[in-house]
Amino acid sequence: MAECDLALLEIIKNGFEAIADEMAIILMRTAHSPIVRDAMDFSTALCDPQGQNIAQGLTTPMHLGSFYDAMQHLITEYAGNIDEGDVFVGNDPYLASGQHLPDIYVVKPLFHESILCGWAATIAHHVDVGGLVPGSNSLSSVSIHQEGLRLPFLKLFRKNVPDTAIHAIIAANVRTPDLVLGDIAAQCAAVQAGDRAFADMLRRYGREELHFYTAALHNYAERLARESIRSIADGIYTFEDHIDGLGEQGSPVVFRLALHVQGDEVTADWTGTSEQVAGGINAPVSFCKSNVYAALRSVMGADVPNCHGYTRPIKVVAPEGTVLNCTYPAACGGRGITGYRIVDCVFGALAPCLPESVAADGAGGSTLPSFSGVYRGRTFVFSECVMGVWGGTAQHDGQEGVPHMASNQANVPVEIIETDYPIRIERYGVVPDTAGAGKQRGGLGILREYRILQDNVYFGVRSDKVKYPPHGLFGGKPGAAASNILISQGQESTLPAMPLDPIILGKGDVYRHVMAGGGGYGDPLERDPVHVLEDVRDGRVTRDGALSAYGVVLTADLDVDESETRAYRARMRGQHS
Amino acid sequence: MEPHYRIAADIGGTFTDIACLSADGVLVTAKVPSTPHDYALGILTGVRQIAAQLQAPASTFGQLLHASTIATNAILEAKGARTGLVTTEGFRDVLELRRIRVPRLYEPLYQKPEPLVPRRLRLEVPERLDARGDVIQALDEENVRTVAKTLAKAGVEAVAVCFLHSYVNPGHEKQAEHILREELPEDCFISVSYDVLPEVREYERTSTTVVNAYVGPVVSRYLKGLVQTLQNAGFDGRLLMMQSSGGLLDVSQVIARPATVVESGPAAGVVGAARLGHVAGYSDIITFDMGGTTAKASLIQDSRLTATDDYEVGGGISMSSALAKGGGYALKLPIIDVSEVGAGGGSVVRIDAGGGLKIGPESMGAMPGPACYGHGGTQATVTDANLVLGYLNPHALASGTVPVNAQCARDALRAAVCDKTDMSLLEAAYGVHCVANATMMRAVKAVSTYRGRNPRDFTMLAFGGNGGMHAALLARELNIGRVIVPPGAGVFSAVGLLFADYEMGRTIAYAAPLPAGEEARRALEAAYHALQSALCSEMGEDDNAGLTITRFAQLRYQGQGYELSVPLSSATVTADVIKQAAQDFMAEHKRSYGYVHDNGHMELVSIRVVASRPPARPPEINKVIAGGHLAEESTRMAYFGAQHGLLSTPVLHRYLLNDKPRQGPMIIEEYEGTTIVPPDCMVWRDAYNNVVIDLPEQGGA
Repeated sequence: MAECDLALLEIIKNGFEAIADEMAIILMRTAHSPIVRDAMDFSTALCDPQGQNIAQGLTTPMHLGSFYDAMQHLITEYAGNIDEGDVFVGNDPYLASGQHLPDIYVVKPLFHESILCGWAATIAHHVDVGGLVPGSNSLSSVSIHQEGLRLPFLKLFRKNVPDTAIHAIIAANVRTPDLVLGDIAAQCAAVQAGDRAFADMLRRYGREELHFYTAALHNYAERLARESIRSIADGIYTFEDHIDGLGEQGSPVVFRLALHVQGDEVTADWTGTSEQVAGGINAPVSFCKSNVYAALRSVMGADVPNCHGYTRPIKVVAPEGTVLNCTYPAACGGRGITGYRIVDCVFGALAPCLPESVAADGAGGSTLPSFSGVYRGRTFVFSECVMGVWGGTAQHDGQEGVPHMASNQANVPVEIIETDYPIRIERYGVVPDTAGAGKQRGGLGILREYRILQDNVYFGVRSDKVKYPPHGLFGGKPGAAASNILISQGQESTLPAMPLDPIILGKGDVYRHVMAGGGGYGDPLERDPVHVLEDVRDGRVTRDGALSAYGVVLTADLDVDESETRAYRARMRGQHS
Repeated sequence: MEPHYRIAADIGGTFTDIACLSADGVLVTAKVPSTPHDYALGILTGVRQIAAQLQAPASTFGQLLHASTIATNAILEAKGARTGLVTTEGFRDVLELRRIRVPRLYEPLYQKPEPLVPRRLRLEVPERLDARGDVIQALDEENVRTVAKTLAKAGVEAVAVCFLHSYVNPGHEKQAEHILREELPEDCFISVSYDVLPEVREYERTSTTVVNAYVGPVVSRYLKGLVQTLQNAGFDGRLLMMQSSGGLLDVSQVIARPATVVESGPAAGVVGAARLGHVAGYSDIITFDMGGTTAKASLIQDSRLTATDDYEVGGGISMSSALAKGGGYALKLPIIDVSEVGAGGGSVVRIDAGGGLKIGPESMGAMPGPACYGHGGTQATVTDANLVLGYLNPHALASGTVPVNAQCARDALRAAVCDKTDMSLLEAAYGVHCVANATMMRAVKAVSTYRGRNPRDFTMLAFGGNGGMHAALLARELNIGRVIVPPGAGVFSAVGLLFADYEMGRTIAYAAPLPAGEEARRALEAAYHALQSALCSEMGEDDNAGLTITRFAQLRYQGQGYELSVPLSSATVTADVIKQAAQDFMAEHKRSYGYVHDNGHMELVSIRVVASRPPARPPEINKVIAGGHLAEESTRMAYFGAQHGLLSTPVLHRYLLNDKPRQGPMIIEEYEGTTIVPPDCMVWRDAYNNVVIDLPEQGGA
């Protein structure tokens, strides 16, 4: 098989992608927890025998690049002991090269005529895996041992026979065993489907041919990746970004990136980034790499297949012991925020060289509130990912109600929350004058307000951008900062981005979150006054905001006063210079 | 007495297809250009053409059955009504914030669709219910009145109303509806969520209600105009329109629920496949409908259509819609599950920066169309590749009526592919044909393997302008053993309309465990009964003896977020019926997902009742009169890949075939389209004039 048939390559690539999508659909339709079935915090992948991705379901970008390290771990550990009909389960960042404990991998080796030919892999965020707090994402954990059930890679099924002991151990160690086992069953159904579908492809093309075209696919992805990197001017592009810090007094976590672009290769060097912290936001290096890949993948164009090959020209340097390459026993429960900031940092570094391809900074990923208690006689845990706001781009205003690029998740419907939990959502919408001003403004901050309907409800939240609001680009202004307000018995108090101490809410208490507004793109004084007027008519910008941020003077009957606007803008420019 | 003829019109972007069936089973078809400034004129031209052919005046056409893209176009072209939205205080942005997820990964510049109602026309009123439907805050009626006046002043033509938890208690919405009717002009279209989609999940319910409002005035104007034009032309029969769910309804009922007709054309094609397939002895069918821009697939099992309510309108084409949500506007009404991919005759061919051969989703459409049309299109398309392969007539298409230029096709393909690779022209063309098939295979998988169905257990029924061209090789990829290409395949949605039932369905939320005791069963029976009565009265049927009533239960395991629909085995809820439903659910779960929970608790999510009446028509086509002349058998060279090479291939029309199978290769060239029979396949014509292609057995799988 000396020659690669281009048509056959495309056909086989389609076949692989269809399998990853089929697995994702089955997982979504059969999952039990809102975070998997509604928010879709899971991923599916088809891997080659070496554990390299060859296709990804249309799921969560920040998961994709992380399969590889976990698969290497599994393959090395079980060399010579991988059988047909086995299904592996694992989650631990240190014992299984995993992400954080709630992300559980379920992986099945795929055989053809007794030869290992590939892997069907899934990862899903489980609603709870035990540990200090409900939801298992405690920010105050200082050790992985406080975070919940640690699973090295284990055989959940041995030659098609379930290991009931593992099921029992999982059930005993999580707060919501029905949901966790239900979601694991959904993951098992997905890898079974992947197995069936891949077997069909093996029968159709034969092992040798699939093997040949898998290699060709990686090479093809690598060529496309190198081609796009070559189009970026050589240079070292640096950027610094932050996470607010843990608790009331926590110092900011600093991200320092030097992106070396040389020819058709790129190195992301994170030297100078903060040391790992005594709290649950440390990222294993596999997660760091995964997010760098995702960010760079997104400036490469749509044709690049989501397979391991595209990562070959990308190198990641993350010094051991930093928040981006944490060492045992650092806690990782809330490490998602660290991943979001990695992606934001890469975009920040790329902005000067790819001004048309990246947006100004957005709200920085999901805000993750968790509520737990006893309701209708059962323990409940409710966490959701609140998203999201984007910054302005060269062409468009930033949008609201869109996911962070790294994690394509959905919100949980208000009516579902109110049906299942003792929580009422009082308001959900955008807040005027929160967008970073710009020629193209950012998206508006999103407000979500939760009222607690019973006593003794545990509450925790992971958010960000209270101290460091989203930056603008090319003269655009930063978006408004995020805020966390607690109203208890009429008393309003402000919470930090990541409170460490447990909070117990009572009946009638309110938690109000406002996400940060997106950064603006370009000089706000260059924004078309008609667009400012439209924003005022739509209640996105107030009259005062139109004047102070954009220098646009409106008439009493809501029209643009053009001569006054010109004059006012001239004065504003004068003050700036 | 039943009138002698039944006539159907399917309006697409470029052509209006007409099909007419006489009481004794003679099918006459026509294809005329669509007339977008007034679609009725195109219909009239087609109807007159057929009337002339039959020498029958328009008054002998007892019914006109209709499918149209009018509602979809209103959304795609942003030409719907100026619409207002009234929501619960604090929630006017639900419509715009959507479900957050976007259909594309790795695209930081992705733009989601504009909301159908701008923020300034989304107004809030104080009111609140909890999840049980209990009133937390009473509706502020004065506030509703003020809101109504504001909307009236803003000149809205339609208003949607959606309050939280109205699916449990519609009280506040009904109050608001009443006030809005008092305050707004009489012709303002009002769409209220309890009536349009009484189901949980506020974004989906709001969006569906808004879509209904947004297309309401457009559909209403269109249908009223159509009725008028037809009446002026002497047609005074009944006008029925196809719903996305596959049943026909009187236009007056469609005007009240316009969102039910967004996918009427594709639905009609699938209905036709189910009915005509059934007559010819096929109950398990995968439909394959390939046109100029997209290809569609749907699954028919036991002659039953597959329904879904997981749908978005105006989202463009998505590879696998269930995952790639967010690109359009959620429309959660029952619809035939049709998956679509961006591969059609006009899809553009290119080599990307990594040397990959790519097809679509960009399409040259009908104008300028493929390079071979000679209308100035220079980009190579799938049709150009098919022409280079010898599959399409190198001089003219559609029985000689559309001239083509083969040199333009060759030049375009050479420039797009051969100059950038080491492929020969024929290799490139064959590669394009096969890559197009690989893309379309995903549409088929989305309705079959993704739901636990193996395509090899099905027969493929191919239609659309390009269906027959790609069906056999596509079927081979999917291990399908038989392909049928029905008569009228090029106007098949119009044909399908002729065989559709008169039908209406209603669904309501019914959240409860699967009833175990007598009391729970009685409550469920009462709910079904009430739904059934409401349905029959809405259909204007006092005596429901003539209607077939089917009950469905949407079930899931407790904790899951997606339901499976199970038809109930009897018209009354008994312990046996419930037991059967539970068994059917588990069987379907096993089939779709490969497993069941042994001790899982099942719960009802919603209940649905469908009332239908089949057409009083012969169920089969005895004779077909189509356009174009029928040529003698000839031959031309056609390429079938490296394995078979370039072969001298017979070219003929289907009536030169009989029930004695002939060996491929063969090209069946007809006015409505071309069917390709690969060299290793057999082909024959069955008693219903279907072209039947039998593929060789494939080993192993």
